[in-house]
Amino acid sequence: MNLQRKIQQLLKPLIQPMIAVMIGLLTGALAIALVGESIFGTYKVMWDGAFGNFYFLTATLARATPIILVGLGLALAFRAGVFNMGAEGQMVLGAVCAALAALYVPGSGIVKLFSAFFAGFIAGGLWSLLAGWMEVKYKVQLLISTLLLNYVAVLFAGYLVAEPFQDKSGSAALAQTPMIDQSVWLPKLFAGMSVHMGFVIAVVGAVIFYVFLQFTSSGYEVRMLGKNPFFAEYGGINKHKVLLFSMFFSGGIAGLAGTVEVLGSQYRYVEGALTVPGYAWTGLMAALLANSNPLGTAVAAILLAALQTGAMGMERNTEVPLEIASVIQGVLILFVTAKFTLSWWKVKKKAGDVNGTV
Amino acid sequence: MELFDYSLFASAIRMVSPILLAALGGALCARVGIFNVGLEGLILAGAFSAIVGNYYSGSVIVAVLTGAFGGVLVSLLFGLATIKFKANPIVAGIAINFLVLGLTTFGLRAIFQVKGAFYDKDMNGLPKWDLPLIENIPVIGKLLYGHSPLVYMAFFAAILLYIFLFKTVVGFRILAVGKNEAAARSLGLKVTVLQYGAIVASGVLCGLAGTQLSLGQVTMFTEGMTAGRGFIALVAMMLGGSHPIGIIGSSLLFGLMDAMSIRLQGFSMPTQFTAMLPYVITIIAMFFLKDRGLESQASGQQSSR
Repeated sequence: MNLQRKIQQLLKPLIQPMIAVMIGLLTGALAIALVGESIFGTYKVMWDGAFGNFYFLTATLARATPIILVGLGLALAFRAGVFNMGAEGQMVLGAVCAALAALYVPGSGIVKLFSAFFAGFIAGGLWSLLAGWMEVKYKVQLLISTLLLNYVAVLFAGYLVAEPFQDKSGSAALAQTPMIDQSVWLPKLFAGMSVHMGFVIAVVGAVIFYVFLQFTSSGYEVRMLGKNPFFAEYGGINKHKVLLFSMFFSGGIAGLAGTVEVLGSQYRYVEGALTVPGYAWTGLMAALLANSNPLGTAVAAILLAALQTGAMGMERNTEVPLEIASVIQGVLILFVTAKFTLSWWKVKKKAGDVNGTV
Repeated sequence: MELFDYSLFASAIRMVSPILLAALGGALCARVGIFNVGLEGLILAGAFSAIVGNYYSGSVIVAVLTGAFGGVLVSLLFGLATIKFKANPIVAGIAINFLVLGLTTFGLRAIFQVKGAFYDKDMNGLPKWDLPLIENIPVIGKLLYGHSPLVYMAFFAAILLYIFLFKTVVGFRILAVGKNEAAARSLGLKVTVLQYGAIVASGVLCGLAGTQLSLGQVTMFTEGMTAGRGFIALVAMMLGGSHPIGIIGSSLLFGLMDAMSIRLQGFSMPTQFTAMLPYVITIIAMFFLKDRGLESQASGQQSSR
């Protein structure tokens, strides 16, 4: 009985995302059928493309790395009740500053490495703090200002690598910085595989974040502000301070996402390398999907990355375009906060019972 | 090259219409208590379905209708999620933006077998209307002359919406729902019907905005061609206090910035900085917003307030 209740408790927060995932996959099936391919065959190819062998698995984890970090940063903001939509700009500024620090800070590899991480974190954090400050001081809607600041940051980073810091060594004038020195590269976890040290950093970050939220008083303040701002203020929590704090760290972690991507896989800042794959927005979806639970965010990030790498494999082997992944993701998020009617819940709860007794 | 001249203001008026139409749609939603962050997606849906309609029928009228229909279809999905399933409107709105971005790129591949952008020389853009009388008015005539019908329609829609909201019974009911949903419901108003109506109407307006975007100036569709216009429209709506006449003013400001950012490219400035202009001005405009724009429950989900 006790065990049953425990399992039910464990499953309850999962019901909502599960329904959303099911609707998402159904929509995907519909799209596949429209293109005229076999539904199960295509999903099988997709699964193989994401987890089929060790190489694909590590490719999925490599793709998940920046997504996990962005997701964690956003989860922190969401937990404090702050709708930070600016992860893309924060990540891109972090990435370009990290690349520039790795290139131009004098000293040995380890000094360059630390200054790159520092620059990435601070750049993302300050950019995010700007929006937080505008909200606290001038009541400029954070939800929208962060969105608009994305465009400014991406354009500014584009300017930096197209004009003053452009790589002039190659014959083609691409919008990118020169390559950073090999001593600053984050090591790969397995020889020949794309997953790098950044993945370990991301997973450790998720655990640290979980401990911070659950077991520290600052974490409690953040959670309380998100749950009930009036009660938090009544209880003596300085809500402006917590908001600025969470915005700074939220942006900083997004900056780190850009940093590890530069140091671990691109080895330079290339315009569009972070924005075209939509890491920031996938990270946002991961955080929403997991209801801003740090460990859940990491798992959701890996699943969403798998959906994308799987879609790439699918495009190689079938006629279905890989954009199907974005369709599935969109539907998933559309219904993840939906409250399905009572009858839905009851049916689902019974299913939970069966699981409990078996 | 001059920075300010007639053609700058004329192109500002052309650029303003997508923003104005979408902002009016957003205002309708805000007036029934739903903060519609999905404007961007609704516009994109309109832009894409207008191109599809145009490609298959070759008729501009059909294209305008399919454009509006595309917007309605997506807005119904948004309404279903937020009203029927009580999803968080902000999350649902963001999801709509992603979903439409995905659907349109998927559609580009599945229908036209292209990536990035679709263009076909046989497609017809919106015609330019030379209204007979307006041409003769000094100064203003030059600005208002020779635009696409949707540009005139945008301004007409704003005036119509003003009359509808503030001079008709249904309009008052809509305002009541936005002011206090529970009270409106207790008076026996059909809140859900009014909300669906407002969302569908905003779908039509955003669909038309998208049509103007893909068929007005250029006759093509590019991935994510809205480029943040939905959010700029959202700010225009807030700046105009969700009031149609106020929105005309604020949209004109952003339309002018849009036109300026293109004009400035002719000067020796890095394109990245000129492209930033509309976003920077929008952020600055928000400093003057303070608590305006968002009505009661619409701000319930608001960040820190």
